[in-house]
Amino acid sequence: MLRRRRFRFAILALLPTFAIFAWVRMGPIVQTMNLSVRDWDLIGTNRPFIGLANFVELFGDSLFLTALVNTAIIAFGVMLLTIPTAMVLAGLIHYRTRSRFAGFYETSVFIPHVVSLVPAAMAWKWIFDAKLGPLNALIVSLGGSPQSWLFDPNLALFSIIVLCSWQALGYAVLIYLVGFRNLPTSVYEAARLDGASGIQAFRFLSIPLLKPITLYVSVVTLVSGFNVYAQAFVLASDSQGAPGRQVRVLVLDMLENAFRNYRVGYAAAEAMVLLLIVLILTGAQFALLREKGNSK
Amino acid sequence: MTKLASLRSALCGATALAAFTLPTVAQEISILSGYPEMTPFYERVAESMKGDYPNLTVNVEPITLREHERRVALGLSSGLEGASVIELSTSTAGRYVQAGLMPAAPADISEFVSDPANFGQFFVDAASYDDTVYGVPLFRGQGALFYNTRMFAEAGLEGAPKTMDEYTDYAEKLTQRDENGNPVVSGWSLRLSGGSQGIAEKWWLILFNHGGTLIDEVSPGKWRAGYANEAGVKALGQYLDNIYDKKTVTIEMPSDAEAFEREQTAMFIRESWVIGDIAAKAPDLEYATAPLPVGSIALPVNLYVAGDGSTEDMQAAWDFAKAANEPENLVWLLENVGWLPNRTGVDFSSVTDEIEAFSAFVDYPEDYTFFTVPSIAVIEDLQTRLAAKLTEAFANPAMQGDDAAIMAFLESAAEETNAILKREGLLAE
Repeated sequence: MLRRRRFRFAILALLPTFAIFAWVRMGPIVQTMNLSVRDWDLIGTNRPFIGLANFVELFGDSLFLTALVNTAIIAFGVMLLTIPTAMVLAGLIHYRTRSRFAGFYETSVFIPHVVSLVPAAMAWKWIFDAKLGPLNALIVSLGGSPQSWLFDPNLALFSIIVLCSWQALGYAVLIYLVGFRNLPTSVYEAARLDGASGIQAFRFLSIPLLKPITLYVSVVTLVSGFNVYAQAFVLASDSQGAPGRQVRVLVLDMLENAFRNYRVGYAAAEAMVLLLIVLILTGAQFALLREKGNSK
Repeated sequence: MTKLASLRSALCGATALAAFTLPTVAQEISILSGYPEMTPFYERVAESMKGDYPNLTVNVEPITLREHERRVALGLSSGLEGASVIELSTSTAGRYVQAGLMPAAPADISEFVSDPANFGQFFVDAASYDDTVYGVPLFRGQGALFYNTRMFAEAGLEGAPKTMDEYTDYAEKLTQRDENGNPVVSGWSLRLSGGSQGIAEKWWLILFNHGGTLIDEVSPGKWRAGYANEAGVKALGQYLDNIYDKKTVTIEMPSDAEAFEREQTAMFIRESWVIGDIAAKAPDLEYATAPLPVGSIALPVNLYVAGDGSTEDMQAAWDFAKAANEPENLVWLLENVGWLPNRTGVDFSSVTDEIEAFSAFVDYPEDYTFFTVPSIAVIEDLQTRLAAKLTEAFANPAMQGDDAAIMAFLESAAEETNAILKREGLLAE
């Protein structure tokens, strides 16, 4: 009887949280799902059901497919650049914990994460400027030829990856540092006694032991990579003829379809595709890293 | 005197006393603008209304055009709070008017707008739907050539180019190059990159001057792509010739008004607001303006009123739109901001005589023609998709000089344009 009462109390206590979660998190997803199978122009009251027509049209839409490919390249590029760099940087900072500059190292790596995105992107836009940018000036001074960072389709994508990674790095390093600080020191002492070098300890102990952290950081980085928008917008698709090749990404395409082309149902279908991709990738990452973790 | 009568007298007395001693009820309206440079103008209009509306607070809220369009789309579809004056081009406002999200203008405003002494029929039509006035015309975007007179003189050129072929010839002569022959100052700044829709709109202007149009109204309300033809080949061919053959411009070069003001380009086509921008940012620039060979775009921008404000606030908002059209405010707008007012019967000579650059916008040849962006729901979608294709074409040197390849590209783009029109039931068979 007492257990039943406790159970009922627990359910009642959790109910408000569940209700808020359902209202704030699940409600919009269900609503988007509903809109994705309708034809709605944002301002009309009529929202006819059109089945999967929006999805069928999406996969024949060259702009959507371009946006999908660009977004995927950016998301995976950011993840591939950020994860190893963050792990190495965190390892170095952790190794230098006793240094009086330890705080400075941590702060300087974390600052890009808290800097407001738009001014940061503007600064990077200047860095990548083909005519006036310091990056090309450096390349020329080293004997290279200047590059059209923001105009060449591939280089424009690379520039966005660099900007996103620069921003994501601080957070990833911070999480890895927490991971490093929680690693058992006894394992490292044993490795040192066995004659393992620092690099060997990092390769064969730190990396496997940090797998849960890597899973978390890679999921967060990948998901935020798929939601890239402001970086692409400021860096390469400003208004009024600002020099820069427009790098079409999914969120930009969605916004254009919803609020400029007034095709909310179509934009909702794009959002559902994005959700599905992120869910599949997150599931795959969990499965991959857990599987390997269990096999050890 | 009974108790009730005493109470009634006391109440009447208190009400009368309150009417005389309490301040008038405060009023508030918002001005939603997509042109940040218009801010001082609207603030000036607000100031000019102080006599009639001493307790009116006017919140001027400008943001960039694309953000403004999104704000309006969200605001109108979910319901705007208070009374707002919304600045919108006719092509964008049309859908809201047709959906009943914009109220019709009250009788006094409608009368003001419809009076031929105030506005030409083109602008009345642009602010109306089904013969009902919904907005108050204010200004228009109209293109003309801006050219650097010092650079023209140095290149031995007198006056502006008069044909589209001359544009390329002039651009070649005006381009300044480094020792390797690479352009360092473009001869003619073309819109090759940046925000997507603008690329198509600027190309449309060149296309129009070659005799084409982006979409053609074949029968009332029915449209078809109008650029997969000789005019289209000439327009796109001219871009490609300038980029790859004559090399008068590159995609990486600084462009638009900023480049012109910094003397990084010798000429470019833009609207009249550039005059105000030059006056503010590069007052010593030696430049002149000229009409285009055939004609220009005329994009009317109107002031609409929407929201759930009180009757008094809504009336104040409409009065604001009317006050914006007071002659002294319009003269100030032209002189200080540079957008061309739409009202007729106003003496702008004090500005046009003093600032010669306006001449191209007001003194054009008799056979000069204008086109406008049609008020159809898919126009932005059409332009965005065409712009994405044009960007690819501008980056493709293989098409330069190959008219057949250009035509094939245009036919493919036109197919997509027609497919969008068909999707919306707007395609002419």
